[in-house]
Amino acid sequence: MSVAAIRRRAFDLFKETGLPSTRHEDWKYTDISRIQHVLSIDSSSTAPIDNHASIINSTAIADLDAYKAVLVDGVFDDAHSNLPEDVTVLSLAAFLNDMGGQAPDDIQRLFEVRGDEPLFNGLLALNSAKASDGVLLCVANNTVLEKPLYIQHISTQTNFIRHAILMGKQAEAEVIEHYVGVSEEKALSSLSSNVILKQGARLQHIRIQQESNQQTHIARVEVKQLQDSSYTLHAVELGCALSRVDVVVALAEQGATCALNGLFVLGGRQHVDHHTRIDHIAPHCTSRENYRTVLDGRSRAVFNGKVVVHKGAVKTDSAQSNGNLLLSKHAEIDTKPELEIYNDDVKCAHGATVGQLDEQQLFYLRSRGISAVAAQELLTFAFADEVLTSMSNQQVRAYIEGIAFAKLPHGAELDGLLG
Amino acid sequence: MLVIKDLHVSVVGKEILKGLNLTILAGEVHAIMGPNGAGKSTLANVIAGRGGYEITSGSVTYKNKDLLAMLPEERAWAGVFLAFQYPVEIPGVNNTYLLKAGVNAKRKQQDLDALDAIDFMKIVKEKAKLVELDPSFLSRSVNEGFSGGEKKRNEIFQMAVLEPSLALLDETDSGLDIDALRVVAKGVNKLRGEDRAIMMVTHYQRLLDYIEPDFVHVLANGKILKTGDKSLALELEERGYDWVKAEALGSEKSV
Repeated sequence: MSVAAIRRRAFDLFKETGLPSTRHEDWKYTDISRIQHVLSIDSSSTAPIDNHASIINSTAIADLDAYKAVLVDGVFDDAHSNLPEDVTVLSLAAFLNDMGGQAPDDIQRLFEVRGDEPLFNGLLALNSAKASDGVLLCVANNTVLEKPLYIQHISTQTNFIRHAILMGKQAEAEVIEHYVGVSEEKALSSLSSNVILKQGARLQHIRIQQESNQQTHIARVEVKQLQDSSYTLHAVELGCALSRVDVVVALAEQGATCALNGLFVLGGRQHVDHHTRIDHIAPHCTSRENYRTVLDGRSRAVFNGKVVVHKGAVKTDSAQSNGNLLLSKHAEIDTKPELEIYNDDVKCAHGATVGQLDEQQLFYLRSRGISAVAAQELLTFAFADEVLTSMSNQQVRAYIEGIAFAKLPHGAELDGLLG
Repeated sequence: MLVIKDLHVSVVGKEILKGLNLTILAGEVHAIMGPNGAGKSTLANVIAGRGGYEITSGSVTYKNKDLLAMLPEERAWAGVFLAFQYPVEIPGVNNTYLLKAGVNAKRKQQDLDALDAIDFMKIVKEKAKLVELDPSFLSRSVNEGFSGGEKKRNEIFQMAVLEPSLALLDETDSGLDIDALRVVAKGVNKLRGEDRAIMMVTHYQRLLDYIEPDFVHVLANGKILKTGDKSLALELEERGYDWVKAEALGSEKSV
């Protein structure tokens, strides 16, 4: 079947299922009826924004030593991209075009959507059908991508993007997806990142969602891991009116390890929902999950972390932790760990906390001469920053800290307190 | 330096301090001893400004200012320091940055320029050496993963860097082995001076062998029941506290 045929079928599937509604258990807390109107807009007909070069420069993470792929409103921008020569990184649309629609099986499969897969919803099918472009990264066996690949997304209007990351045996890479919104329109960014890690492959994956405050961001990160592969995700949520990200990881062969780290720093009426699902299919796999949220104003966060330990997955080692800090009495968190274990020989732990700042810690800091406001900020920041300690890219970490820091109610008070 | 008059303090409706009087002059070292639950830690915490205590009457004056009207950080800026009985772990907050912020906040209040990183590190290294604190602790999160003894040593290190006028040591000796106690005492003794005062809460006479007090007070039943010199501590070690309480009861009855 051609890619085009697969995508037509996906569109049929979308027409059949439609948008998810709050009647669906997985969408109980997240109402996306606000994006209904964007579905009538034909995204392929709109022209890319003018003079976007200055926007690309001003919104990029500064001084990052990385390869760069830029997408403006869902279209690959060759002129502003800087791609490695020895590793395949290219525009998915261009690739399909070159192949005359007859892509290799691996690529075809990236567009397939089944109605019975975990966390399936209509938007997933729509993304397959409408995706205009994306980045295709193929790291060959025994190859290390020397610099991180920084994928910068500029959105001013509704866009559908599909990324694919194929990591060969023993391949290593770091990929940073950065979503920047520069429009006040109620647009939708629909994303799908499909990741396959072959034997012994290692991927550091960072997602920074920093879209504009009217935007809706709906994404799925799907990861399939083969033997002894290692996957680390840092999912950072800072922008948007509404963001929903589904992370689906299949630990398909033994010895595979994944670590999912989430950080939400929200205020106003922002709403962010992450549903994660980790399938322990093979024995001797390890999963770690650490999500932290800092919620101010009337913001609302949803965290649903599901871990399924399948029948043959002996010696599974899984731990999940979700900490939530409510800075305002109007903020809300809905957190739900879900464990399904079909096996005796496993180690599974989970825990969630919801709270305010610790009075003992506050007093301790104040007794050393830190003002009450600065002490609050410092503790809030330290709480959030814990998630980033496992991030090896210090430039990206500093960038995230800077943005998160500025979002805190009295960020300026902290000046000089942090190194 | 510190004048406490008829201080009454309650915690969730229960009166802990019941009319406590205490005067500490500059240059003096006072030891507060007494049975468990007498209110020794309450006294130290109230002076430092911890929340959760209801001050029902009385006054605390520090350097001629109403201490009870000041925020905890204002007290720190004015030179009050509490070495905690149970130092708090603060993951993610760097020990050295905390101290630098504390020192510079205090300097700002005194209209002094902030210390730059180099000058500050010089002080920090010198003080760490004084209390024999492993320099690796400087770059760690505040008290995180420290042993009990290391936490206490870190308190004295912080005190040495912040150079308070009034140091309150709340059972700093508990949980310390003899070597650690000697080091902590060295740090405290180094701080002694004409313009400084120290109030130490302790259960054990042992500490006083290393830090010689000018006065020893027995705090029981929410009041200072007896005041003496160093020999009183030795007597308490031998005879316990009951005789002091009985004596106080007797004198109350005879009034």
